[in-house]
Amino acid sequence: MNEKVLIEFSNVSYTYDEESADAVYAVSDISFNVKKGEFIVILGHNGSGKSTVAKLSNAIFTPSSGKVFVDSMDTSDEKNEFLIREKVGVVFQNPDNQIVASIVEEDVAFGPENLGIDPDIIRKRVDEALKSVGMYEYRLHETHRLSGGQKQRVAIAGMIAMQPQCIFFDESTAMLDPQGRKEVMNTVRKLNKEFGVSIVFITHFMEEAVNADKVIVINEGRIFAEGTPAEIFSRQDMLENAGLDVPDTVKLASLLRENGIPLDGDILTEENFIKAYLKAVKHSA
Amino acid sequence: MIKDITIGQFFPGNSLIHKLDPRAKILLTFIFIIALFLSRNFFSLGLLFTTAIAAILVSRISFRVILKGLRMIVVLVVFTGILQLLYNDKGDILWKPFEQYDFAVTEGGVFSAVFIIFRIIALILFSSLLTYTTSPTMLTDAIERLLSPLKLFKINVNSLAMMMTIALRFIPTLIEEINIIMSAQKARGADLETGSFTQRVKALVPVFIPLIVNSFRRAYELAFAMECRCYTGNNKRTRMKKMKFSVRDYLVFVVVTLLVAAVIYTSYFDVYPLFIFERVV
Repeated sequence: MNEKVLIEFSNVSYTYDEESADAVYAVSDISFNVKKGEFIVILGHNGSGKSTVAKLSNAIFTPSSGKVFVDSMDTSDEKNEFLIREKVGVVFQNPDNQIVASIVEEDVAFGPENLGIDPDIIRKRVDEALKSVGMYEYRLHETHRLSGGQKQRVAIAGMIAMQPQCIFFDESTAMLDPQGRKEVMNTVRKLNKEFGVSIVFITHFMEEAVNADKVIVINEGRIFAEGTPAEIFSRQDMLENAGLDVPDTVKLASLLRENGIPLDGDILTEENFIKAYLKAVKHSA
Repeated sequence: MIKDITIGQFFPGNSLIHKLDPRAKILLTFIFIIALFLSRNFFSLGLLFTTAIAAILVSRISFRVILKGLRMIVVLVVFTGILQLLYNDKGDILWKPFEQYDFAVTEGGVFSAVFIIFRIIALILFSSLLTYTTSPTMLTDAIERLLSPLKLFKINVNSLAMMMTIALRFIPTLIEEINIIMSAQKARGADLETGSFTQRVKALVPVFIPLIVNSFRRAYELAFAMECRCYTGNNKRTRMKKMKFSVRDYLVFVVVTLLVAAVIYTSYFDVYPLFIFERVV
């Protein structure tokens, strides 16, 4: 993995009302880096400040204090705005409020059109982006007739067509049914693995953190914990303190361990669990 | 009720009409509308009406859809027809229902009523064919290009086009939202369908307030999403779809010019002394 730092949050605080003296900070003193090709999951319950992080990443918001750098460009400098947004995209929660055009391919073309790219290249990028999210056959469909998962994939394609180096997903699966969530998750993983796009996935579903390179837990606007999924998931008390629902498999595994059934390895998914459990049972028999 | 709105809807397809340059389609629609108002006899109206029907056949838009769109204007058509019957007193008297009054249905009245009704229907056919066969984005793109001379007067045509695109994009979303809110209010016992007119209007207040509040929230989120996609409001945008007049477009213009010439010639010059060439309105 390339170790080049793409986005750097350094002691970032943000408040929605800067005037008042006793301002409530949505985000306070957050520092972390996003490296090229990295897959980071930010976990936090509702109102933990995690969505603000996404908007700080590409100069939609600028920090009240501290600095955010994208490819060494300061987001507080208005001159950099356009260049930063070319590099860092955000996919939001509600696909209905992100889609600009009535026809799928025309919506995907919106971003590249804003960049002022040549029409033939836009056409190519749009087709490629739609293929990579598996929506190419729908390119002429009307956006409002798609399912939630499909709409969100169109929104992702709209980002991909701009060829950013990093995409933030701000609760992009929260409004979807399990099927739609799976579609989006698979697309995101593919983007990361095959195209090397850095991903910062902001969510409150812990299950979605399983495949991350790094997990950051945010609570009350501060970084509460940081580590690999295995490290984070093993700290059940911490997660519950952060207001998160620990996945059932993780809970079950720790209960079994407490009761003297030795389960090997890091148990994050159902698959992990079943393997470890079968092994333990075989061992005792 | 809301589901019946087909005006402004787009039905994707691959027909000749779909493939025409959207700018050409807009101009042609205007030409047809002007021709309809210039036309004065049944021959020229018939010519235009047949063109409309032929265009629909070529576009492969089903007549069910067309009729559904026409349903919206039934009241208007009937009302206009009745007015024509009442106010035109040319020609022989066909029916005089009240001896003591002057009022009578005349031959001229019947002719002009029929004429006006078909003129309105043709008007709707031409204009809905435009929106049925042109995607909203293409339509706004075309309007943007057609209006671009206005840039000389410092009018921001790009923003106007963007507003139109977004407005069209959100029509189905807002219709869906109205349905959801109405269901939610009905589930709480709101009565939206009975009572006097004022009562029903009042009952709509709790439907529209959440709708408006939500629209503002949507607008706010959409603005963020658009900014994330590098929209600044004044950047030099390119377009994926290039627009170029092709031979096809020029040919259609030639045919339409001939048609309009025929309409004007038969309407304003004496041709044959035949009924279909006689002036009706």
